[in-house]
Amino acid sequence: MEHKPTYSEINEDVLNLMTKTGPGYYVVLGIAASLAGLLFFLPWGYQIYTGQGVTGLNVPVLWGVYLVNFVFWVGIAHAGTLISAMLFITNTPWRRAIARGAETMTLFSLLLVTLYIFTHMGRPWNAYWTMPYPNQREIWTNFLSPIMFDVFAIGTYTTSSALFLYFGMIPDLASLKHRTTGWRKQLYTLLSVGWSGTDSEWRWHGKATMFFSSFIMPLVVSVHSIVSWDFALSLVPGYSQTIFAPYFVTGALLSGFAGVILMFTILRWAYPFVTKYITDHHYDRVGIFMLVLSLMWSYFTGIEIFTGMYANTSFEIESLKYKILSPPYFPLFFVMIFCNTIVPLTLICKKARTSKPVMLVICLFVLVGMWLERYLIVPNALSRKFLPWMWHDYFPSWVEISITAGAFMFFISLFMVSIKIFPVISIFEVKEDVGIPLLEKKEH
Amino acid sequence: MNQAVFGHFTYADVMIDAAGKLRDSGYDVTIFSPVPLVHEIEHSFGEKRNYIKYFTAVGALGGFFFGITLAFSTAALYVLPRSGREIFAIPPTLLISYETAILGGVLFTFAGFMLLSRLPSFKKRTWLSEIDGDSFGLLVEDDSGTRLAAIERTLKEYGASEVRRVEED
Repeated sequence: MEHKPTYSEINEDVLNLMTKTGPGYYVVLGIAASLAGLLFFLPWGYQIYTGQGVTGLNVPVLWGVYLVNFVFWVGIAHAGTLISAMLFITNTPWRRAIARGAETMTLFSLLLVTLYIFTHMGRPWNAYWTMPYPNQREIWTNFLSPIMFDVFAIGTYTTSSALFLYFGMIPDLASLKHRTTGWRKQLYTLLSVGWSGTDSEWRWHGKATMFFSSFIMPLVVSVHSIVSWDFALSLVPGYSQTIFAPYFVTGALLSGFAGVILMFTILRWAYPFVTKYITDHHYDRVGIFMLVLSLMWSYFTGIEIFTGMYANTSFEIESLKYKILSPPYFPLFFVMIFCNTIVPLTLICKKARTSKPVMLVICLFVLVGMWLERYLIVPNALSRKFLPWMWHDYFPSWVEISITAGAFMFFISLFMVSIKIFPVISIFEVKEDVGIPLLEKKEH
Repeated sequence: MNQAVFGHFTYADVMIDAAGKLRDSGYDVTIFSPVPLVHEIEHSFGEKRNYIKYFTAVGALGGFFFGITLAFSTAALYVLPRSGREIFAIPPTLLISYETAILGGVLFTFAGFMLLSRLPSFKKRTWLSEIDGDSFGLLVEDDSGTRLAAIERTLKEYGASEVRRVEED
């Protein structure tokens, strides 16, 4: 940190971010929320009212853009967990300033994941059927199905992420309750559960954080592995790949880090004092992570193609030809490679990693590339199953495209509202970053 | 209500030294801080036993067995042969129980934290708002209320920027 702010300055900065709101904020929020309603909720309502026929889904392609988005948003969620849990365990100091924002991103991404499961369902009001509960038909959920693995994995991930986010926020909420009035004071008093910052409270908070992190970290790997098994445990050419679990996890982290950088770059631009906390160093570190993840992702993409080629069965070759060489997908495939392999190579250069506009552009490319990767897997494989009479080209309908775009707007709206209610930068962790004031200037 | 003295400190190390001195003299001391001072306090006062791990272990084990029981018992309640697959299949059950173990571990860790930290707490500490900026606080309780002056002196000797008498629940 170039300029070291005082503890009071940190309190004031975070509070200003939450309470000082210009007209620009309301304009952007108004546009985002309106578009979310118009593009996401209205078409979804129309789809529920009319039926799944308004989508491009048809036999045999019954998994389309909704599940592409489902996988994409699970991926976005992953970086938050990695930053908050894994980097905590490895005692990586630069995580402190960005962890809270990344965790918030995780929670809202998981909210969208849940919504996409509902949009994918023909009858979302029957969602409770996925829960094992006693019923008059005496029929239970099938625990051999990867879909059930998903219910448990996503359920655990969402619950744990929400709890971890709240748990980490308790000291900050207690700090904020002394500085606010009105509804904010009441809310923070209630949520801070009487935290007063005693040595005993901090001690248990620290110990519990370690256990929380140790338990949440395996979720980074397990959740997206399980999501990948939704596909890999089937026999469909293009889905049945043993490489899928690490491939999906790597891609998830790559897109997640891109999401984190995108979010903080916009935050820095909107609130210039955030630059005190989110510095070049953060960009540099995350840039290195992204470079490594991009290289790993490229390797796995190669392996996915080569194992299909080495299998040399007619249906695998057909699936690959359809994905890589047939219009309209072959341009998308090369755009994906350009976005996820070629563009991130610029991160080799430190100047690129610490340049905000360059990082912003790279992250946008990566997000587009990672969305395309999921698109080229989910509906694509189902379009070329074993026998030619099962072949069917899939194109998303306007409803699916609209719901996809609307989700981004909904995410932006949620995030914008959340940064005004809850601290997006962890107050106590940034204070730790600054250092503890000591009379004898010994090493802390 | 106990009689107590509350001292403000600018520096954490000085406060910890004062806390050590008063603790050795037999007073009940509580350190208030805007940041965790766990390592510094443990360095001076010694490490205490970590009870959270028991909560975590019970939660994780409970979750693990809950997952296994759920998958196996529902399979037993409705026996559905699925293309020659086992009714009681181990690998998928382990996946479910892995997730429930994590969920149990996380929920019990949180419960353990709340219980051990004695939260939610309804103590009215209005004086606390003053320490949450740049300073640290030390609360020294004296049940008898007869040694408050001596405590005040010690706190001032150690460089407390402000000392005041308060009442603690």
